[in-house]
Amino acid sequence: MSAPAIRTIGLTRRFGEVSALDGVDMEVAAGSVLALLGHNGAGKTTLVDILATLLPPSGGRAEVAGLDVVRHAARVRRRIGLIRQDTAVDQALSGPANLEFVARLLGAGRRRARERAAELIRLFGLREAAERPVRTYSGGMRRRLDLAVGVVGRPAVLFLDEPTTGLDPAGRMSLWETIGRLAAEGTTVLLTTQYLEEADRLADHIVVLASGRVVASGTAARLKAAVGDRCAHVTLAGPEDVAAAAAALRAGGYAPVPDPARRTVTVPMAAAADVPAVVRLLDGTDITELNLTGPTLDDVYLALTQREESRV
Amino acid sequence: MTAVAQVEQWSHPGSFTQLRLLTARQLRHAFADRRAVVLNLVQPLVMLTLFGQIFGSIAGPGALPGGVRYLDYLMPALLVTTGIGAAQHAGIVLVREMGTGMTARLRSLPVNLRLVLVARAVTDLTRAALQLLVLLACGAALFGFVPSGGVPGMVGALVLALAVIWSLIWVFLLIAAWLRSLEVLTGIAFLVTYPLMFASSAFVPVEKLPGWLRAVATLNPVTYAIDAARDLTIGGGSAASPAVGLAATAPLGVAAMLAAFRAFRRPLSR
Repeated sequence: MSAPAIRTIGLTRRFGEVSALDGVDMEVAAGSVLALLGHNGAGKTTLVDILATLLPPSGGRAEVAGLDVVRHAARVRRRIGLIRQDTAVDQALSGPANLEFVARLLGAGRRRARERAAELIRLFGLREAAERPVRTYSGGMRRRLDLAVGVVGRPAVLFLDEPTTGLDPAGRMSLWETIGRLAAEGTTVLLTTQYLEEADRLADHIVVLASGRVVASGTAARLKAAVGDRCAHVTLAGPEDVAAAAAALRAGGYAPVPDPARRTVTVPMAAAADVPAVVRLLDGTDITELNLTGPTLDDVYLALTQREESRV
Repeated sequence: MTAVAQVEQWSHPGSFTQLRLLTARQLRHAFADRRAVVLNLVQPLVMLTLFGQIFGSIAGPGALPGGVRYLDYLMPALLVTTGIGAAQHAGIVLVREMGTGMTARLRSLPVNLRLVLVARAVTDLTRAALQLLVLLACGAALFGFVPSGGVPGMVGALVLALAVIWSLIWVFLLIAAWLRSLEVLTGIAFLVTYPLMFASSAFVPVEKLPGWLRAVATLNPVTYAIDAARDLTIGGGSAASPAVGLAATAPLGVAAMLAAFRAFRRPLSR
């Protein structure tokens, strides 16, 4: 078995009093896609920054492409591509000029850099805007260029921090296709996301992060199975009904996930046979709608992170 | 594993190539907007005209040592004080760039971070050099600045001024890399600029300053740099003054450079 492309052992990072990462153990197989799922502030960006050598860890170890990110930072940088949340391209330069600049910093000769830039402009569908300065690009085009700059050197490991944030649905689809293609070519991809659909669609493996800790890890199917076989989605008339329903269900031995803002309670269940019991517990609350579904990744996410929060 | 092979084929660029690429990008930015370029070149000319008229009007004949014209007295000082603005600019652009994703991108690439700062310094030194050339040319053509030191004196003063400006640039790059805030940087720039410029020999001979200000001017490295530029152009001082001028500023520049390298290495905050 080949060595993992990414490995962390007891990784911690503190910012003053705040613990952003609290002992993260993780492995990502070479050539696979891992989605790091979590709320804002869960530690996703901190973890990516440490793996991409931008930030030293406070404790523990991290290896990328078999190299320690602290001791061999310079060698790690030759093997990775990083796309952060804020677009990192030179707004005053054209798309090809941006690509050539990074290709040359990676050691490509003038001609090779120009060829690689032209190739990526074509591959990422940026031809029509090629010679314009990036500041005139649309958000989606800028994001695609950002990704293209990240893969100029054909990195073995690619880090994408919330790559589709702020994109319209078409832009998101096209970026998903691109990421899928890179993964198919053998690039190891670690992406962070708040979109469950995105993790489900792109990743072989999902790690759920909450308060700097890994709260769950596995394939999408396994995570869903861990939550329960079925989920009841109950919509209620008012917020006070949500609280009452959640309390009643909790007293009945279930682990409901209330969402007062949407006036819903989600109830994971071991089997469909639990439905009558759940309905009985809800007797007396003002139900406007009840749906039965298999668990979505949303349910997994809420259940796991809320369990984590209630522990704190 | 073609994915890895690609980068391995590209040989790691040496420091000189990296510096050339980084500087070329900065220069492109610096000269992208022609309006900004022209405004930048005009600045020292405004200083020359205003200060020449304002202070020149009260500095009658014999007010200055050796009966020098005020304008001739002012010119070498402006060569040096122009650099304070150039140095501030270096700091401001650095802070602004650190706030964009581009600095993070460079940090994730196999780039020597020290060279990112050197590229910034070279760019602002280039901007300052153009300002000084225009200042000297206009001074000679419009205001009859014909120093007794002749062309060698002018070239000498220009080189000396650029050496001093190089040191000042590093002081502001240090402040920028260390504090990383545009507000704090501009605040410090305001506090530092006026004492550096006025509590010196730039506009009035040090002997004519009130006692306490004379003490400040004696401690101000800019005083020695200006004295040296003056000696090289209009003469009147000691032959050793260029060495003194450099000795007063170079150690500051070297120390600031080394400290700026350290400060810039600190991780970016988000």
